[in-house]
Amino acid sequence: MQRRRGTPGLAWRAGPLALLLVLAGCGQAGPSASVPAETGPAESAVPSTTPEAAVESLRAGMVGDESTLNPYTYVTGFPGWNLLMLQYDSLLQFDVNGEPQPWLASGYEVSADGLTYTVTLVDGVTWNDGTPFTADDVKFTVDYFQANTQSRFTRDLSGVASVTVDAPNKVTITLTSPNPSFPIRALADVPIIPKHIWESVTTPAEATFDSPTNVGTGPYKLVEYVADQSYRFVANETYFRGAPAVKELVLVQYADEAGIVAALRTGDVQAGFRSISPEQVEALAAAPGIDVAQGPEFTTQMLYFDVTKAPFDQLAVRQAISLAIDRQDMVNTVYLGKGTVGNSGWTHPSSPFFNAAVATTTDVARANALLDEAGLTDSNGDGIREFDGNPMSFELLAPSDNPLRLRLAELSREMLAQIGIDAVVTSIERDTLVNRVWPDFDVSKGRDYEMSIFGWSAPVQVDPAQITALVASDPAVGSINIAGFKNAEADRLSGEILVEGDPTRRKDLLGQLQALVADQVPFVMLLYPDGNYAYNADAYDGWAFIAGQGVVNKLSFLQPDSRP
Amino acid sequence: MRTERRSSRVLQYVLVLLIAITLNFMLPRMMPGNPLALLAGADVGLLSPEQRAEVAARAGLDRSIVDQYTAYLGDLASGDLGFSYRQKRPIVDMILERLPWTFLLAGSALLFSAVVGVALGAFSAWRRGRPADLTLLGVMIALDSLPSFWLGMLFVSFFAVQLGFFPSGGAITAASSLEGVDLVLNIASHAVLPVLTLSLLSVPGVYLTMRYAMLSVLGEDFIRTARAKGVSERGVLFRHVARNALAPVATVLALRLGLAFGGTVVVETVFSYPGLGRLIFEAVSGRDYPVMQATFLVFTVAVLLSNLLADVLYPLIDPRARAT
Repeated sequence: MQRRRGTPGLAWRAGPLALLLVLAGCGQAGPSASVPAETGPAESAVPSTTPEAAVESLRAGMVGDESTLNPYTYVTGFPGWNLLMLQYDSLLQFDVNGEPQPWLASGYEVSADGLTYTVTLVDGVTWNDGTPFTADDVKFTVDYFQANTQSRFTRDLSGVASVTVDAPNKVTITLTSPNPSFPIRALADVPIIPKHIWESVTTPAEATFDSPTNVGTGPYKLVEYVADQSYRFVANETYFRGAPAVKELVLVQYADEAGIVAALRTGDVQAGFRSISPEQVEALAAAPGIDVAQGPEFTTQMLYFDVTKAPFDQLAVRQAISLAIDRQDMVNTVYLGKGTVGNSGWTHPSSPFFNAAVATTTDVARANALLDEAGLTDSNGDGIREFDGNPMSFELLAPSDNPLRLRLAELSREMLAQIGIDAVVTSIERDTLVNRVWPDFDVSKGRDYEMSIFGWSAPVQVDPAQITALVASDPAVGSINIAGFKNAEADRLSGEILVEGDPTRRKDLLGQLQALVADQVPFVMLLYPDGNYAYNADAYDGWAFIAGQGVVNKLSFLQPDSRP
Repeated sequence: MRTERRSSRVLQYVLVLLIAITLNFMLPRMMPGNPLALLAGADVGLLSPEQRAEVAARAGLDRSIVDQYTAYLGDLASGDLGFSYRQKRPIVDMILERLPWTFLLAGSALLFSAVVGVALGAFSAWRRGRPADLTLLGVMIALDSLPSFWLGMLFVSFFAVQLGFFPSGGAITAASSLEGVDLVLNIASHAVLPVLTLSLLSVPGVYLTMRYAMLSVLGEDFIRTARAKGVSERGVLFRHVARNALAPVATVLALRLGLAFGGTVVVETVFSYPGLGRLIFEAVSGRDYPVMQATFLVFTVAVLLSNLLADVLYPLIDPRARAT
């Protein structure tokens, strides 16, 4: 993590940011949670500057409208979920290392069989309308999200069999099967909602800002929402962890990144709640009063192919493609060095679950040899190999609204040309691309593409078990296996990873699965882009960088001693 | 005779409106892409097939296209535009919030471009063939070929970022609690750059129409007659030429009134202006079917109304159109 302008303070850790480029980089989906990352070597996790007196007001720029920001109306995983969680709390809260820590829950115990979580709640917490918070609210939250589908939270809680209230400050949550990811995926992700408000809400998806549904226990209260324009939050001065460090938070909506950059330059806003593109970083860092914080993110840029289709069903072809791709060149050329080279085992090197034994190599000669051995030769001398008598020429999709992905596609084309594979780059509208690669968001419906640049948002790496979703052949487990990959060993490992409660054994299984991915190449992991966050340090410098979630989180606005 | 013509004209409009409503309904559904991600939220891919089906059913997407269409027509007849998939809010509210801003931009720009375009067009025609006319003509043609996003971005970086004269985006300073004159000034300062961008891009159209109309009138016999009668050059220009040339210009302006709403999409995005244009842009990305239908409908109605306006205005300006 580097800082582009040296103001003292604020050492950012090498934490991944959970951000934008979500599913297919389409700005949806979002950080479900953060990874328990021990990553960044000598970097301090806690900002060294202490915001002493509270800052009166801070204005930040964001992209897009997030509607009325209650658990059923917020729109995107980033920044929608992050802004939602300024108003609400979950039972656990990620610290800057991305480890879940006690929050509304003062602690929890897991039974030996991994099925029962006994959660003790903090005493004396009140909803921001003054009503006391109790165990009834926790039970109600689980029941309500299970009864009223909200894709993220309903999915988080889908493995819960029952919740019982043992005491006003104690609940027992029973799962249908052991799930070691439960604390990360559910306890630290689901906002607890007040029973006394929501029990009378029958159509949650239509709850508007006028109705009192935005009552939470969180550090901020949303007091004004102007569609397509702004949000105004005021601090909850009686927040149970202590009064926030910024009294008023105004979020100004811009149509795109360029809007935020211009507003930072004019001083209309003092922070950008969105990562800026690599080519903007130097220019912005040079602007007076503006700092740019850079850090690695868990978002991914990948090269996908339909492995159910010939010739991608041939291992030699997939391995040759992986060997032909020079990932470092991509990081340098497209991201101007602001990114991490992709590991062929998919997992980010700064993840605590990274298998360091998995190497990533570029070797064009070996790639060519592999294809020759497989009998895929260029018999007519046009520079393109043939397969079954047809030239190995394939359509490579890239989203038209994403210049970085387009550039990655162009570079891939050049690199694949060196091994006699002709990739024809086709730029198509984003939603159209998603629908071809991932029809109806349902992998069991097949796919309609040959090759595509694609990628996933940070949360997919944040919960280490999510790698199973990319490679398992059962759609219920491999829900984002858009390559159509099917491998008995991968399925076996996935099954074990999902229920293994022993951390050491689990890490070992995850490492094995990464090695398998590197060898079998269900997709080519290209790179992990850095997050680049611009802000005016004179206006506010108390940012907390949560591994996997970046700076847009409630910790950024709490006094240091209020943070976990 | 006349009432018959009028009623057939009304019938025509109703027919066009019905066809447009049908197209507005079909177009979003014919586009590849799926609104499920908006309906279910970002993590739609991680839902079970049953949960996905339930979400789709709640929005009525499991029903046959004919059912959906008749339901849409029924809602429309009762003035219900539906709920946004993305924002989960009534679309009527969303449109009403944004309409005034688009009115402000499109209206000011139309007014500005009408005045400037007509004046310059008349001047150019009067000076036809001379250096002033040729220079103006060249500038206008060049202006006409500029892409709006480019001009807008240029204005932002120069007038807002470099000089700091105007805000870089938005319609009003967020959470500012301004009142009275301050509020008006604040809104005005936000509107200057987008209005200027829109205006500069629509002046050439008006200018070219006016200039051409003037030139064709100048060649008419009655102008020669007027001159022969000894009417002053100024009198010829204003009383005879300009008056007659205004008819086609008025038609063009009336039609532009309808199109002005569509023309704001790009400019509203460049200036992060909270109008209808941005709403339509957001609706298309993500496939928010109900919002797409509703915004398309607003544009359709605007274009139809401006056509109607032109139909009504033309005979008033040009008596010859009344004869038949």
